[in-house]
Amino acid sequence: MNGREFSESEFMICQCARLIQDGTLVFIGYGMPQIAAILAQRLHAPRMVQVYEFGAVGALPETPFVRFTMGGPRNCYRSLAWTSMNTIFAQAQLGMVDLGVLGTTQIDRFGNLNSTMLGPDYHRPGKRFPGSGGANEVLTQCWQTVIVIKHEHRRFVEKVDFVTSPGYLDGTPGARERAGLPRDTGPWRVATSKALYGFDDQTKQMILLGVLRGLSVDDALKEMEFTPLIAERVEELSPPTPEELRVLREEIDPDRAIIGRTATD
Amino acid sequence: MDVLQAGVGEFSITDPDDLRAFMRTEKRRQMVDKVMPEAEAVRRYVKDGDYVSFDFSSFTRGPASLVREIIRQQRRDLWFAAKFTLMETTLLAAGGCLRGVDVGFLSLGHLIGKWVEEGRSKVTEWTNGTLTLRHLAGAMGVPFLPTRNLLATDTLTYSGAKVVQDPFTGKPIALIPAVNPDVGLVHVHQCDIYGNARCFGPGVSPLETAMASKRTIISTEEIITTDDIRKEPSKTTIPYYNGGCRRLCPVWLPAGRDAGALRDGYRALPGVHGRLARRAEDGRLSGYICL
Repeated sequence: MNGREFSESEFMICQCARLIQDGTLVFIGYGMPQIAAILAQRLHAPRMVQVYEFGAVGALPETPFVRFTMGGPRNCYRSLAWTSMNTIFAQAQLGMVDLGVLGTTQIDRFGNLNSTMLGPDYHRPGKRFPGSGGANEVLTQCWQTVIVIKHEHRRFVEKVDFVTSPGYLDGTPGARERAGLPRDTGPWRVATSKALYGFDDQTKQMILLGVLRGLSVDDALKEMEFTPLIAERVEELSPPTPEELRVLREEIDPDRAIIGRTATD
Repeated sequence: MDVLQAGVGEFSITDPDDLRAFMRTEKRRQMVDKVMPEAEAVRRYVKDGDYVSFDFSSFTRGPASLVREIIRQQRRDLWFAAKFTLMETTLLAAGGCLRGVDVGFLSLGHLIGKWVEEGRSKVTEWTNGTLTLRHLAGAMGVPFLPTRNLLATDTLTYSGAKVVQDPFTGKPIALIPAVNPDVGLVHVHQCDIYGNARCFGPGVSPLETAMASKRTIISTEEIITTDDIRKEPSKTTIPYYNGGCRRLCPVWLPAGRDAGALRDGYRALPGVHGRLARRAEDGRLSGYICL
């Protein structure tokens, strides 16, 4: 909660949804990306086609959204095709998927993602998480990938404890291609509860592109372990519109299980 | 072909000629009635120390009833393929059945993560996609398949994959070893008494899992006639012999998924799984599954 008329999650989801373009084929990850995709689909991207890792293509998910499920009939409602996991990851490897959308636990300066574990010793993790799921494939194969993540100091780290999914690796030119990863791929945007980041073309470092209206650049930076590059002109990001909030609160998540509540509720 | 990098994760691989020999003698091609109760199927075909795989998840057409039967019969030291898993791994761990897990996705609840932190459950890292690719390789009878996934990550370091220089393009490529599970568990919508099976709706890898596994136990919502199967052959997901003749055991199990969703069937009840996860964490699983 931020004392505003919308929750942090709502802003994060709206930002992410705005990055999803109509007419594209989009690989949707588990959790918050699912909500962002439905929102985009109902507002500005009705012809965007969602694909899920278990092979559903072009679903028009039923709402209210049911948490935790992805392969279930409600989320796969009115799909164009039900294929399989090997088929859909082959499509991504083939270069057919324009955009991937992922959540994660930790991210570093070069967009490497950790959703596996915390701590210095892999064999005795301080905290163990679910692991890659399909995130590694998405960040490896999609032409562009959006990462949606809560804006917290502990999440924006200098070095992730474990590279689950590959960003720009050590940031050296051509690092991804040298490792054998597909050319011209990698993280594209990081949408948070406070700000929006991209990655610098040359150095592959994360670069602050915008902050939520009413917040300063420092508000964004103080919640990060590393200091990103800062765009020459930092954009002011619009808060959720009444229409975005209506779809989120009335159609997608009336119980506010994911979008949360605001201070004024 | 030089190996540029080798993952350190524990994994097993079957020699393809040993696999063929197994298929030749153990998976009969005659169509025989294989229907039996699930308790008998698990008693006969799931052994301590087996590698067990399954299709889909506890929320969607997962083999929920078979997983519970394995716990009930107290199988031990299983290695479990957790591709797109949710409750299955947690339940099997809490039931004391697991030695280790091939991780695609490790959930639901905190129990399984906590056991990994404490070193009680061993894990090898994969991804949902590469773990499924291992099943495809296993289903094809080849020792590995190449992929551009996993490269340049710690996930690869702690997997069993190897990176080589592709002899055709010269680019680094990851090789994913085949897996041939001792037992595959697949829950289907319909099958006949021989095991010709239909899955409707999305699926992770029902055919690959059934083909790759040395024994496949199919549980079904409904047993239909072979005449019905023959009327619409394009609906057959798994031909009867893939599970292996006498090894393939259709089991009559209405609502086999327990609170999972099934196309044209039931809706998922996530709340049930949340409560179940907490129950497992509190060591109260025996009140749910009669051990």
